[in-house]
Amino acid sequence: MTLERRQFVTQSGSRVFRVLEENLIFVSLLAIVAFFGLISDSFLSLTTLATLFNQLPALTVVSIGMTLVLISGGIDLSVGSVVALSAGVIGAGISLFGLPLPLAACLGILAGALAGLANGGLGAYLRLPIFIVTLGMLEVARGLAYLVTDSQTVYIGAKIQAFAIPWGGSGVSASILVALTLVVAFEFVLRSTVFGRQIVAVGSNESAAEVSGIDPRRVRCTVLVISGLLAGLGGLMNAAYLGSADPNAGIGLELSAIAAAVIGGTSLMGGRGSVIGAFVGVLIVSVLQIGLAQIGITEPTKRVITGAVIILAVILDRWRA
Amino acid sequence: MTGRCPRQHGRLENLRIVTNGICKSFAAPVLRDVDLEIPPGCIHGLVGENGAGKTTLARIIVGLESADAGSLLLDGEPYRPTNTADSLGAGIAICAQELSLVDDLSIAENILLHTSTSSLARIRRKSAHETAAALLGLVGLEQTTPRTRVGRLSLAEKQLVEIAKTMATDAKLLVLDEPTSALTAPQADRLHGILRDKAREGVSVIYISHRLGDVLSVCDRVSVLRDGRVRLTEDCGTLSEKALILEMAGADADFDAPGRAAERPAPLHLAVESLRTSKLPHPISFNCRRGEILGVAGLAGSGRTELLSALFGLDKRLAGSVKIHEDGRTVEVRNPRQAIKHGIGLVAEDRSRDGVFRDQTLAFNVTVAGLGRISDRTGRLIRSKEAGAVEKLIGALRVGSNGVHQKMRELSGGNQQKSMLARWLHCGSRLLLLDEPTRGVDVAAKLAIHEELVRLRDSGITVIAVSSELEELQSLCDRILVLSKRRLVAEFHRSDWSQQRILAAAFSEFAREDTSVTVT
Ligand SMILES: Nc1ncnc2c1ncn2[C@@H]1O[C@H](COP(=O)(O)OP(=O)(O)OP(=O)(O)O)[C@@H](O)[C@H]1O
Ligand SMILES: [Mg+2]
Repeated sequence: MTLERRQFVTQSGSRVFRVLEENLIFVSLLAIVAFFGLISDSFLSLTTLATLFNQLPALTVVSIGMTLVLISGGIDLSVGSVVALSAGVIGAGISLFGLPLPLAACLGILAGALAGLANGGLGAYLRLPIFIVTLGMLEVARGLAYLVTDSQTVYIGAKIQAFAIPWGGSGVSASILVALTLVVAFEFVLRSTVFGRQIVAVGSNESAAEVSGIDPRRVRCTVLVISGLLAGLGGLMNAAYLGSADPNAGIGLELSAIAAAVIGGTSLMGGRGSVIGAFVGVLIVSVLQIGLAQIGITEPTKRVITGAVIILAVILDRWRA
Repeated sequence: MTGRCPRQHGRLENLRIVTNGICKSFAAPVLRDVDLEIPPGCIHGLVGENGAGKTTLARIIVGLESADAGSLLLDGEPYRPTNTADSLGAGIAICAQELSLVDDLSIAENILLHTSTSSLARIRRKSAHETAAALLGLVGLEQTTPRTRVGRLSLAEKQLVEIAKTMATDAKLLVLDEPTSALTAPQADRLHGILRDKAREGVSVIYISHRLGDVLSVCDRVSVLRDGRVRLTEDCGTLSEKALILEMAGADADFDAPGRAAERPAPLHLAVESLRTSKLPHPISFNCRRGEILGVAGLAGSGRTELLSALFGLDKRLAGSVKIHEDGRTVEVRNPRQAIKHGIGLVAEDRSRDGVFRDQTLAFNVTVAGLGRISDRTGRLIRSKEAGAVEKLIGALRVGSNGVHQKMRELSGGNQQKSMLARWLHCGSRLLLLDEPTRGVDVAAKLAIHEELVRLRDSGITVIAVSSELEELQSLCDRILVLSKRRLVAEFHRSDWSQQRILAAAFSEFAREDTSVTVT
């Protein structure tokens, strides 16, 4: 009886509207693409796609980690610096110590994971405020990135660029494929595994999670390690794209990642979010940047518009909930 | 008891509040054409099964929810609140079922949040503390200073603060939604005294409760909600508890206490020896046999909740041991994860803090402690298993919902409570620690839960239950432990207990204090 009533209500409500509402971010993305397509002749072109695909991988993997951390009720402000640290380790490893690329890449990612472990250890186990801990790590990792690169951009070479250069004219590179695979994999982890449930539980009510047999400290620490690890991978992607290790890489990346996650429906209060959503958020932020640049909007105005879009996303999200 | 608020049809301006054909639907209709008329100085009871719509009606009256149809009249004037500021301004205060206190603020600040008329009004600490102290004294918390952070209070104390907060407003209509659900009988009686005084001053009260005895003794008139309609409005003097129950359930249900199998010798399940924690300073020792229902009685603050927390490994143990005997092995329990692994489940007293994941689905809430049961070896969840398991449990425990994917915050309070028990049944717990398991649960569902517990007991599951209602413990338990001032003072068997003896034991340590040390 109840079920019948419910179906009735669903049917009587405007179907189209509901579909639009439930897929709001996809619709927004399409709208933004269509908007720039109409305004600028050169927007819907392969060059735009290539630019987009170049920028995408690092921000995508970092946003995956950020999303998990936010859902668990934490935050990770250190990701941008960790990207630079990892790139620096890779660059120094190859150019200064002559390490083979795979080993250097692993060391870079490991450096990211260690930064995440430090965040997790201090934030989850010593119960220091995670905002402050990762803010400190933002400085520490940036400093370390300068130290390992001697504050200079370290040239790595063509070998590492193979990772980021598109195959043929397709625009698709190994970096992009890895990033997309990770999006799908982590969405699966979040939705369909015990660990995913535990992340949501800790972010939505820590004390109840503990009574339900979940160890909140372990969960919080694990997502920070994952976030560090993914930021390390982001460093590899960044170095691959540039062909060199730039100690200034990833400045402000944490804010873009938070923005992408929030646009994608992740709650800053924890307990709610989606990795696919964050990826669409990344697309929205990136497309907006590229599109605005193409139609000749200046950097300051670009920032105003991007900021306004983020705020708008939160307003829409509030209104839906 | 009758006569104080005579029926006054017709003259609407003589009535404090009138609800006219109030309708409200969420996914399904919740309220249909609700008409109530409450004169000044009348305490009007509102009863009904879990999910009948009591809270929804209360929230509409204070502007926390808007009605789909119908109107409200306050003192004969049309009244359309859109938020609690409106209703407070109009002289209506609510004591909410899900407490509205801010844990990080002090008691005084919480009470003040409510009364300050303008957000710019300067907070005057001294007078605020004086007001708060007076109100705390009124509700029986005179020993607590207004400076205490609310997060540190027990659930009963929080509920008393919520009541004090309501009393701080000089309202002419008080809406109390299950105000006594976490209180012991003496605390509740004190509230009832206050309400009668208020009524004498002309304040009207809407009193929602599942404790029907209380409703009949404190209210002048009572209405029964069923399927969203008012089925009956009568003066309390002419009503019996039985009549109310029948009207609430709508059918001639069987309300006899569950029968019990004969006691038989059973192996030891739990052995507690000289257990001490920071909150239980005096060593506690007792045993529990497999398939036994062990009750824990005591006054507010006697350490009942703390005892269950310690058994579950939530509070750090300072001394002693908690041992589980299973399959011939003996294991120690040190933290909640070990406890759950060894088949212990805890339904915590403070549901919203330690139990419910508000923003997640009912299915999430039921399965969260037993994710291993709905996943494969690799940790991948099997959805079909989840839905099947949850549906079976919510059917058995009569958890009213629109399906397993409904958000927990949309469930009525009593139904949330039932799903907490479902969580541990899903988990396959063999030792259930239940802290006020039927808090806020309606009479019929309460008996259903009792029946379920007795059935579980007969299948070899052990239950340790804390309850403020002695009748509940007496009808359910095989044995009752009594705590007084955080000491284990007595143990009674079915053959030798009586309400008087249990109460005497519960008061024993307090009495000792009174004679030896008279300093407060
Ligand atoms: N925000 C909401 N969205 C959807 N359904 C809701 C919402 N709030 C309440 N309901 C539904 O409305 C019904 C009535 O709920 P209400 O809380 O008024 O019950 P109640 O009589 O107070 O029950 P209890 O005795 O358990 O507190 C329930 O079926 C509940 O699931
Ligand atoms: Mg209710």
